[in-house]
Amino acid sequence: KYCSKIKKKSLSVSLCLIKELCQQFPHGITDQVIQNDMPHLEPQQRAMAINKLLSLGQLDLLRNSSGLLYRMKDMQSTSKMKGSDNQEKLVYQIIEDAGNKGIWSRDIRFKSNLPLTEINKILKNLESKKLIKAVKSVAASKKKVYMLYNLQPDRSVTGGAWYSDQDFESEFVEVLNQQCFKFLQSKAEAARDSKQSPMVQRNSSFATSHEVWKYICELGISKVDLSMDDIETILNTLIYDGKVEMTVIAAKEGTVGSVDGQMKLYRGVNPVIQPTGVVRTPCGLCPVFEDCHEGGEISPSNCIYMTEWLDF
Amino acid sequence: MTAQEVRLCGLLLQEHFGEVVAKVGTHLLKSGAQNLRTIIHETGISLDLVKKSLCVLVQHGTCVFSSGRKAPGSPTEYRTSCDRILRILRYPRYIYTAKTLYGDTGELIIEELLQRGDMTMSSTVKTVADRLTQNMEEGRSMDYSEVSSAFSKLVETHFLQRSTPATPAIPGTPAAPVSTAPPTPESFPDCYRVPHVTLIGRGKRRLSNEDGEDQRNAKKTKMDSETHGDEGIYWQVNFERFHLHFRDQAIISAVANKLDQTSSEIVRTMLRMSEVTTSPTATCTKPLSANEIFRSLPSSYNIPRPILDQYLTLLVDDPMEFVGKAGESGGGMYVVNLHKALANLARATLESVVQERFGSRSARIFRLLLRKRHLEQKQVEDFAMIPAKEAKDMLYTLLSQNLVQLQEIPKTPDYAPSRTFYLYTVNQLPTARMLLQNCYKTVANLIERRLFESKESKNKRTFSTGDIIESSFWSVGVTILTIVLFPCRLDSAENQVDETIFLLESYVNSTATS
Repeated sequence: KYCSKIKKKSLSVSLCLIKELCQQFPHGITDQVIQNDMPHLEPQQRAMAINKLLSLGQLDLLRNSSGLLYRMKDMQSTSKMKGSDNQEKLVYQIIEDAGNKGIWSRDIRFKSNLPLTEINKILKNLESKKLIKAVKSVAASKKKVYMLYNLQPDRSVTGGAWYSDQDFESEFVEVLNQQCFKFLQSKAEAARDSKQSPMVQRNSSFATSHEVWKYICELGISKVDLSMDDIETILNTLIYDGKVEMTVIAAKEGTVGSVDGQMKLYRGVNPVIQPTGVVRTPCGLCPVFEDCHEGGEISPSNCIYMTEWLDF
Repeated sequence: MTAQEVRLCGLLLQEHFGEVVAKVGTHLLKSGAQNLRTIIHETGISLDLVKKSLCVLVQHGTCVFSSGRKAPGSPTEYRTSCDRILRILRYPRYIYTAKTLYGDTGELIIEELLQRGDMTMSSTVKTVADRLTQNMEEGRSMDYSEVSSAFSKLVETHFLQRSTPATPAIPGTPAAPVSTAPPTPESFPDCYRVPHVTLIGRGKRRLSNEDGEDQRNAKKTKMDSETHGDEGIYWQVNFERFHLHFRDQAIISAVANKLDQTSSEIVRTMLRMSEVTTSPTATCTKPLSANEIFRSLPSSYNIPRPILDQYLTLLVDDPMEFVGKAGESGGGMYVVNLHKALANLARATLESVVQERFGSRSARIFRLLLRKRHLEQKQVEDFAMIPAKEAKDMLYTLLSQNLVQLQEIPKTPDYAPSRTFYLYTVNQLPTARMLLQNCYKTVANLIERRLFESKESKNKRTFSTGDIIESSFWSVGVTILTIVLFPCRLDSAENQVDETIFLLESYVNSTATS
């Protein structure tokens, strides 16, 4: 009897010691570490202690390349899960693993092999306990992904700076587009008016993406924080508008605005031709051009667009 | 030779030469080479009129004849081609260019030659001198030598060339083997040699009391008893040379728009220096050293040598690649990239059409696809920063107008839609060809409207004095407008569309040769 009492005491002592060790090494400890620290503890007792802690839900069992790892479980989460059954714990674990990208309910079903009705019940339960939340994905507006309550959703889900509440903010993009263009245009004009040598003129008409980013931030027209990458996507749309051209130059590491030893330079440019001749005639813009034939319902002789055009 | 081209050629022939010639011409266009009997039979026009029409067409170089293909000695066959007839649309531009380069004299020389098809030098000089004298003040007249020197200058710069001498077909003798292509004027060594012509005299002014007679004599060729030593040598306008000039002008104005005036002057100098050394189908001019360019710059542009080097470097670095660097000797060897410049101008034309017709956001999508070649629907929305619904709408509109094409890349052999990539793409050359055909249709539409308007106004033109007094001032004014102003408006619109036609044609032709 005395032996069993001692054993129990030593068990609780070893439990405490192991827990302390885990707290010391928050990344996890191996069996070897426990053995080194408590060499008097027999392997059988060690195993018993570890199993006890696992069943109490105070230790996490992980596997790494060298063997098994024991890690202290987060006290807060363990208190949260009190009162939940194993299924809920499993679902919660799956959602936690998905990180800030979230996971779709169908994928939860695949991973846990639980029937759909069970999953839905558990998800509703967890949501009411405010442990998880549903976020609408911007890619497919009907799809809902679940993630932990306090996590910030990833950009790919919310769409980043250009989306607010799943709506693409086209006016915001338009305003930024115009502001960037005005900045580059005025820089180019200033360079032209400076009447210096042509090389200096051209180089001073360039602005780095960092400069444009700073200008936009200082303007304060944006409610959200914009990164330099965001500004570069806006500048790219200006390139596709034919108003701006870009070059890349090598920059020393550490210069402001350089990324991987390169800097992108942008400047405003003029169009290469005036609007071409054919668009100045009604036919160039006519919506029924294909249907127009002499002698038909729509023909040059009775064309109303031409009549309007001739009447100024 | 498309339906639109044939329609436009028919209208141009009708306007310039009349209904009968138009009928014969379009018939030949549609049916290829035919001999006289077949033409008469198929068009139903009398022998006399067909002969005269063919004469007119041959005179103007729009029709060529050769001995029959079936056997030597078979009747000669006549053949027309669209290209030459479409040039008629560009006559006003040729005349205007001659005026800017060589003044009124040059303008009238080109005008006479375009009207008559081909003439000898002496008759051209005399006619032009008479016309110029007509417009001068009393007592003054134009000397033949002035006109001759203008003519010689035009020949030196290759704007005029000798017509191919016709080889008379003597019946009975075996014909020389007929090559498939008719000989070009350039294949004759004397093409640009001005003959020695004795022309002394001054232009004659038509006196006012001889007006009635001269009206009748004006159209007849002057039967001069004098000969001037150049019988049988006929001259025609060298359209290709004018086209090279227009191409150079387009490149220079593009450089002026994109960069600045000085850069365009440098490019103008480079092109001027390469005028005679570059073949018409060359991809780029012969390399010119920076030293040569510096020496040849016009004296009004007093820029120091290092600044010139900077301008040249900037031209080379420009993304449009108007100028390229070909070597380092002589301070740097530079070429003008002709084909690349034409491709860029054609691309800008396509973008401009999309922008004006469909709006700037569709133009953004179009330029995006030109740059990135192949993109999926989602990628288009992301790069162009246009909401998904609108981007889809615009892409489908462009697709229905055939400006954008869809490329399918299947993941599985059965092309199942859920397992296939659909990529949007723009092909510049086919799109340019399509737009060119649309331009031909546009010009034909404008001509038809102009003919309609003038027919309408002819009906309105028969006023009686009573009518004029009774009707309001306003309605008379409006009628005058329809008679005078509208045709002018339509005319100038035709010239504007011709500018687009020229750019696109040059681009399409440049890709054919390269």
